[in-house]
Amino acid sequence: MTRYIVRRLISLIPTVLGVTIVIFMFLRLIPGDPAVAMLGEHAARENVERIREQLGLNRPLFLDRDALEQGDIKGFFDSQYIRYLGRLARGNMGASIHRRIPIAEELKLRFPATVELALFSMTIAVLVGVPAGIVSAARRNSLLDGFSMIGSLIGVSMPIFWLGLMEIMLFAVMLHWFPIGGRLDHAIELEVVTNFVLIDSILAGNGAALVDGLKHLAMPALALATIPMAIIARMTRASVLDVLQEDYIRTAHAKGLRERVVLFRHALKNAFLPVITIIGLQTGTLLAGAILTETIFAWPGIGKWAYDAILGRDYPVVQGGTLLIAIVFVFVNLLVDLSYAFLDPRIHYE
Amino acid sequence: MAEPTSKEIGLADFAVREHRSLWGDAWRRLISSNTARLGMGIVVLFLLSAVLSHLFWEYDPKTDLDYSLKLKPPNLFPTEEVASIHPFGTDKLGRDIFRRVVHGGWNSLRVGIVAVGISLTIGGLLGLLAGFYESMPLARIERFFLLGGIGLCLGGLSAWIAGQAFQALLFCALGVAATFLENLLAEKPTRPLLFAGLGLLLGGGPALLVSPYTAATGAVLGAIIGGILALPLGGPLFSNIIMRVMDIILAFPSILLAIAIVAFLGPGLDRAMIAIGFVGIPVYARLVRSTLLSVIQQEYILAAQSVGAGHGRILFRHIVPNSLSPVIVQATMGLASAILWAGALGFLGLGAIPPEPEWGAMLGDSYRFLTSGAWWAVLFPGLAIMLSVLGFNLLGDGLRDALDPRLRL
Repeated sequence: MTRYIVRRLISLIPTVLGVTIVIFMFLRLIPGDPAVAMLGEHAARENVERIREQLGLNRPLFLDRDALEQGDIKGFFDSQYIRYLGRLARGNMGASIHRRIPIAEELKLRFPATVELALFSMTIAVLVGVPAGIVSAARRNSLLDGFSMIGSLIGVSMPIFWLGLMEIMLFAVMLHWFPIGGRLDHAIELEVVTNFVLIDSILAGNGAALVDGLKHLAMPALALATIPMAIIARMTRASVLDVLQEDYIRTAHAKGLRERVVLFRHALKNAFLPVITIIGLQTGTLLAGAILTETIFAWPGIGKWAYDAILGRDYPVVQGGTLLIAIVFVFVNLLVDLSYAFLDPRIHYE
Repeated sequence: MAEPTSKEIGLADFAVREHRSLWGDAWRRLISSNTARLGMGIVVLFLLSAVLSHLFWEYDPKTDLDYSLKLKPPNLFPTEEVASIHPFGTDKLGRDIFRRVVHGGWNSLRVGIVAVGISLTIGGLLGLLAGFYESMPLARIERFFLLGGIGLCLGGLSAWIAGQAFQALLFCALGVAATFLENLLAEKPTRPLLFAGLGLLLGGGPALLVSPYTAATGAVLGAIIGGILALPLGGPLFSNIIMRVMDIILAFPSILLAIAIVAFLGPGLDRAMIAIGFVGIPVYARLVRSTLLSVIQQEYILAAQSVGAGHGRILFRHIVPNSLSPVIVQATMGLASAILWAGALGFLGLGAIPPEPEWGAMLGDSYRFLTSGAWWAVLFPGLAIMLSVLGFNLLGDGLRDALDPRLRL
């Protein structure tokens, strides 16, 4: 098992390196000079040059063949990409070009926001999706099954940015039940410890903050939960139905066990493997793909941050944000793979 | 008990049973399902309205403007205030939303179809090649291209460092030579040494003209490349390269990647198609590869091989037709998600350029007016996205049940 984990981790190295190269290349290829973006269109030429030098933008992208020609081996490797990798290895992701805040600092603020939103959504999705799928499978072809399957098809077809807008219209503009956006009301004072609003407010014993935090979470979490909820429900139904056709289920019935015992004791345990896979993969997607939801609800997470940065040519921010997102995504997938071994004793990793 | 006569068991009935083809069967199963029929109905409705309105209902978004009708709620009958009929209301420029939703269908559906076309063609081909060569030994001509290509790519690095483009061709030739001399010193340690030596000469020699330092670097690089080319490289390597690249693309969240591509290419409907199509490539590559890996183990493939069918024939006559079903299903569902992505990009202002009507862009255009109560400007374009996506999803579900009875639950 340990050997398998180590081997998987090693095999991640080329993927992660590839990701850094792709991120790096893309940003350099996007038209527009960040130095000009910083100083404005009418900046003096020498100022632009100075900033370019400060940011290292005057160095070649990957390798400097002119330096090599002069016999300068160190200069040969002194390129934008190698510098970037070197900084990454030292844990320094640079600072935002526009706001001058170190990326690592900003990530500490924004990553918890995204994680809180994603996990809260995923909880909703699992709590609704799994039971819906089980009921659908157990009462197959019933009215309930029909409703939940049509509901889940509508769910996977939902443009979540539109759903978010409709929620805002109904619950915020018309009914005034929930706030339009943000994480916490400005009027509420809350000491920041973990940057998870819910955890912080529980730690501080601040009930008002907890309620307000939940209110702010409700709408974006519901919007974000829609698609995974629908996918989980469909997956659970298909998986349970699959298992219900197995011989040992017939045996259990033949032994005279009650329907409920057969379903919960015998069927569900074996049906959950694909469901766990889909939950894991969806969590990765949620952590990564909350851009639209975060934009609509002004949620200060990574997705909105990366989106703004791409449009504003804020290279370090995009590099840091996207790299973190991609790495989280890859690791969640690895965890999903590893969880198989714990859940299903038939699977061994050599 | 007396033997039943042929009349009693209805022998005549099954004696004349008409021939049913595989696709005919699938079609019959498809139209017998309510949900699939509903999906097909929605899809046909949207496609027809998009095409017909594009052809026969003239609309010029550039001149469509009437401030006196700004943000009027839907009306089905002429009122005192608004003389014209706007079943979906009007937007911030006084444009009829119904008209724009119908015309927007042409753009939104086109993005979906072209994007899926792009991902299906490229991804499908890559998956086909990766899966096929993972399980089949390479023919000589294929090894020739593989090693020549590897030589060309790796040699390109050395060529760039020295600023001598022809070096890449030299390494390409070395790769080709390695194919022709595949039995030369095979499995002896001298083989990699020989090729490393050749590579050293190719990389270092011409670069001497530039500078000694460049030559030294080129020589080291050339030796490594030569050593790689001497290895008995085969199909699994080729497949591995493709799938690694797919993994890298998959490591990015698709929406972020699509945004980055559009930021790189500049906004526009055609750019959005490319971005969404590119993001979808790995999905199809993986699907086709895994389908192919299961098809290729069937006996009929072995039979085809044993009668001496070539790789191209096995691939396109035997494997492709038998791997079609999951791809058709995935492509239908892929259309649904491509339309969603197109809407998302349009909403973020990265799709269609205003005033061109497109559902996502219409949403992005109007959502600021939600707080002033103009719900209709947001409701209808979004509903159009949702319904068309739902249609394709229903159809895809139905197709899966119809095409693969084994999966039927």
